[in-house]
Amino acid sequence: MTALARTNAPLYIAVGLVAGAVIALQICIMRVFAIGSWAHFGSFVVSLAMLGFGLTSAIMCVAKNWFERHALGVITASLLLFGPLAVASNLLAQQVPFNAIFLVSDPAQKWRLLANFLLYLLPFLAGATFLGTVFLQQAKTFNRVYFADLAGAGFGGLIFLLAMYVFAPQDLIVAPLILWLLGSLAFFFAYAKKQVTVLLAVVAALTLTAHFAVPPSLNIAKLAVSDYKGVAYARKFPDSQRVYERDTPFGYLEVYGSSYLHFAPGLSDNAAFNLKDMPANAYLGLYIDGEGPSGIIRDLPKDQTDYYRFLPMIYPYVVKDQPRTFVVQFGGGLSASVALDRSSHVTVAEGNPAVLAAFRTDPTLKAFTGDILANPRLDVVDYDGRLFLAHTPRRFDVIDLSLADSAGLSSPGGFSVVEKFSYARESMQNYMRALASGGILSVTLWNKEEPPKSILKLYATMAEAAKQNGEPDIAQNFFVVSSYLATATVLYKKGGFTDEEIAKLRAHTRAMSFDEIYYPGFVFDPAQTQSVLDGYKSQVFSEADTAPGTVEAGEPEIEPAAPESSVLPSTLMGRLTWHSLIHGGWPEIANQYVFDVRPLTNDRPYFAAYIKPLDLPKILDRLELVQDEWGYLLLWATLFVAIGLASTLVLIPVIFSWRTIFSRYPGKLRTILYFACLGAGYIMVEVCLIAEFVLALSNATVSASVMITGMLIFSGLGSLASERYLDRSKIFMPRIFIGIAVFLIVYGLWLHIPLDWIGHYNYGLRLFLCFCLIAPPAFLMGFPMPTAMDTLARLGKDHMFLWAWGINGCFSVIGAAAVPLVATTFGLSSVLFVAAVAYLLALPAFYAVLLPVGEKRAATSAA
Amino acid sequence: MHPLEGLLDRRFFLMSSAAVFAEASFSLPTFADVPVPYNWDLAPPMDNREAFIAWAVKNRGEDPKYLGERFDRYRVLVANKDVWDKRDDRAFLLVPREEFVLKQNLGRAYDHAFLDIGYGVTISGPHVVARMTSTIDVKMGDKVLEIGTGSGYQSAYLANLTDKVWTIEIIKPLAERTRGVYDALIGRGYSEYKAITSKNADGYYGWEENAPFDKIIVTCGIDHVPPPLLQQLKPGGIMVIPVGPPGAQRLLKIVKEQAADGTINVARSDIYNGRVVPFVPFTKLEGDAISGTHNK
Repeated sequence: MTALARTNAPLYIAVGLVAGAVIALQICIMRVFAIGSWAHFGSFVVSLAMLGFGLTSAIMCVAKNWFERHALGVITASLLLFGPLAVASNLLAQQVPFNAIFLVSDPAQKWRLLANFLLYLLPFLAGATFLGTVFLQQAKTFNRVYFADLAGAGFGGLIFLLAMYVFAPQDLIVAPLILWLLGSLAFFFAYAKKQVTVLLAVVAALTLTAHFAVPPSLNIAKLAVSDYKGVAYARKFPDSQRVYERDTPFGYLEVYGSSYLHFAPGLSDNAAFNLKDMPANAYLGLYIDGEGPSGIIRDLPKDQTDYYRFLPMIYPYVVKDQPRTFVVQFGGGLSASVALDRSSHVTVAEGNPAVLAAFRTDPTLKAFTGDILANPRLDVVDYDGRLFLAHTPRRFDVIDLSLADSAGLSSPGGFSVVEKFSYARESMQNYMRALASGGILSVTLWNKEEPPKSILKLYATMAEAAKQNGEPDIAQNFFVVSSYLATATVLYKKGGFTDEEIAKLRAHTRAMSFDEIYYPGFVFDPAQTQSVLDGYKSQVFSEADTAPGTVEAGEPEIEPAAPESSVLPSTLMGRLTWHSLIHGGWPEIANQYVFDVRPLTNDRPYFAAYIKPLDLPKILDRLELVQDEWGYLLLWATLFVAIGLASTLVLIPVIFSWRTIFSRYPGKLRTILYFACLGAGYIMVEVCLIAEFVLALSNATVSASVMITGMLIFSGLGSLASERYLDRSKIFMPRIFIGIAVFLIVYGLWLHIPLDWIGHYNYGLRLFLCFCLIAPPAFLMGFPMPTAMDTLARLGKDHMFLWAWGINGCFSVIGAAAVPLVATTFGLSSVLFVAAVAYLLALPAFYAVLLPVGEKRAATSAA
Repeated sequence: MHPLEGLLDRRFFLMSSAAVFAEASFSLPTFADVPVPYNWDLAPPMDNREAFIAWAVKNRGEDPKYLGERFDRYRVLVANKDVWDKRDDRAFLLVPREEFVLKQNLGRAYDHAFLDIGYGVTISGPHVVARMTSTIDVKMGDKVLEIGTGSGYQSAYLANLTDKVWTIEIIKPLAERTRGVYDALIGRGYSEYKAITSKNADGYYGWEENAPFDKIIVTCGIDHVPPPLLQQLKPGGIMVIPVGPPGAQRLLKIVKEQAADGTINVARSDIYNGRVVPFVPFTKLEGDAISGTHNK
């Protein structure tokens, strides 16, 4: 293809735009899954689809000569196909929705999931074929085309972020289509006949028409929202109407109104016999990405707010009269309304700008809430309350964190493995520090699990935070209540509770019929410890043969009329937890407990992933029991499937060419190791930093975009710069690897410190500072891949060149799947350490890349 | 209602786009009419599969294939202590669960699994329905209110324990579809379902006109126990609510107690009254023995 040699600028532009289209399509599919069904499956499908790069590379490696001979044809065909395949696969996949909750019970769901995967794989195959063929053509100056690839992908991520302001979720696919069209045009204008450009125009027009015209004419969905999403129920209420809708990078916000929406999270059962009425039509339902509802509370007249005193979030006000209150998360405004009802002044924080914008600008919402955010007794902090409290010199009498980020109804998809920094120990320490003398921190969490998991993690986290803050004895500082299968509330008082306060709180607890879990002076009888722990263990892990095995219709073991005096096991477990947290012995109890209940920290901020990894094999025959853990289990499934598929793909060239083409290449195994380390190492850093930077950026989508854009662009620049050192790579590259490893280890140890500071600047400055933070390691991480690829090409190891690209891709998928598993087990910093090790392993392996073709002795010794 | 009316109803639903998928796949299996009129003395054989099938074919006119599956499931329920007495046993054995599932799920009607019934609603697994019903210990003549009619299976089960069942469904097309199922079954001779009164409304407010109730079963998610339901529960009455995601639900049992001085107390517990009960993995029948575990 001599045409390509004439001028490379259009080629680089085309590569950049198509790479941008590929990454935009990835994020688009993840958005489609997040809104239509469940975000975790988006990651699952996309990460597997990325194996399309591995598949393409394996095929190209085996049939290299054919691809070289037909390069222009292959490029033309793959460009023409990318757009139509993207639209067709999306439309078809939306017609075979699968449902996560039936995955175990309904065999058909597995096939639907597979169909989704195969369909979404198709456009990636076209994109990968285009990029692979161009790479092969430009092998000797790979670093430049790689720069175009990375930088284009980076900008693609950014453009998609902006597109989320413009397009409705079901039309977001237009963003990758535009990038694809521009990229293809750039290529065809420069290197193809006019007719091909005309053909492209026709194909593009048909593609867009198909996306916009086919679904309405066939009455099919462009984005099928699962019937089991929270929003699907709101849509079915007879009188429901959508009063607000907005798509932004901070999520797809919808607000529905209906008389059928009722919220009173954790309401005491006694409300039924002490209140005349609950207020009717008091709520709107707020849904983000179809998940919810969170209740948006109406501006209620004073005589209708009586029911507040039956809510668990009222607790701090039982002992604090007209306090200065801080509400950590505004959400739908219930906590803020309760606070306004009982406080002299309220400061409320909300980290989601889209939520604030909705409440501040929408006339319907303003009218409904009495324009709550403009209340003169209320200040608004327009970023995370967690970040505000970490830095403010102000002190508060009450700090409230009630049911943040959680919808009242159980989500059928289960827990997501999501960073909950607001509940981490470091945040709790900051909340405690921000209390005025005698101030109260009140944290309420859902207590709907049996055996309890989240609340035990919360208990351990809060006790640990108080201890870390230097409290010598925390026995006097806590008051804890729970309501069975409803909520649990932990109160921490700076300076400790007085006897009078304890008496008041206990009286209130009795009046509400809540269960006492801990108060200063509470006496726990440790005699029951072992039976509770053993009971839970046997409840979850009992073997089949201990289950009832005979078909005797005799007297049942479970007496329906058994005495009800005994304390419920979960209540007992809560008491046992506080007893041992305060009087010692907690590590041993936690170790014996059936689930992982280590405290949440900034390094491991997860409520999910409660199954201890070593227990996983024992849980496989009882998955229904841990349905709220499926997000985590799916990550393991992704890892195993990715390892299986990746090994298969890596083996294809081995089977077809190991003894023929590759026999001339020395140092094969170390070369494979090299590219595997780069693939896994790079993606681990990227995915891990996306999670870490949420600390400063407060939003996972923004963090993902900043990381994708920043890392890829700076690595692209590194790739561009690498050319200058190519001749000296033997001496230069070790420094690069060591530099990368040093950065990763330092970041692993201390990154939270700058992130913590960045968090309280305005958003623009935060973005800028985050870019600055990732620039140095990302720039260095741009060197190893192109340096090695250029070297392979210059040494004439063309097959290895193609294969290396595929290995890199395959191990990226494995690395990406491994990140949350390492993070939930060992912490986010460990992910960076593992990545540092990968780069250090790549250092010696790099010398195998440098071996020229035909050095048989070296080949033998390496293999 | 004549079966054809049901068909007409369904055609009407097809026009509503929200109902397209659920309705397109739902059609009543055409089983025979019930040969012997229902009465409270009907006593299906409980200790022999063949005897049960023969009895039910003769007395109920049902398909032996489903009868066999029902009996097998019944054996597992007994083994797992999901049914607690003979009345529960009888109720389970007399309800044709296959009439309450979607056509595409007929083959799995008696699986140990919840199944999709459209509209984002599931029919709970037989073990859950049995256990919930056992928990509230329904006596003949008890007034029972169900919130969340769904497939209609739960109320059908209740109608074999008492003659006074009220059920409320929030989703209108589902309420109408299930009403159609009841009416069709009644038309075929399942006269026990005449005991079921249903309506489409917001279950949060209960059914004041027919209150108070002895027992209330709530089968939909909510972030608190609706005060109107607690008010409409008789003193000494029992309410049961599943909490958590389908499949991994915990059953919350609420007992409304009235002291001698008239003060009311509400006691929350799980249905095992505080015992930690070992999880019973999916069990299967091999011949007459319960053995092993399986995941299907």
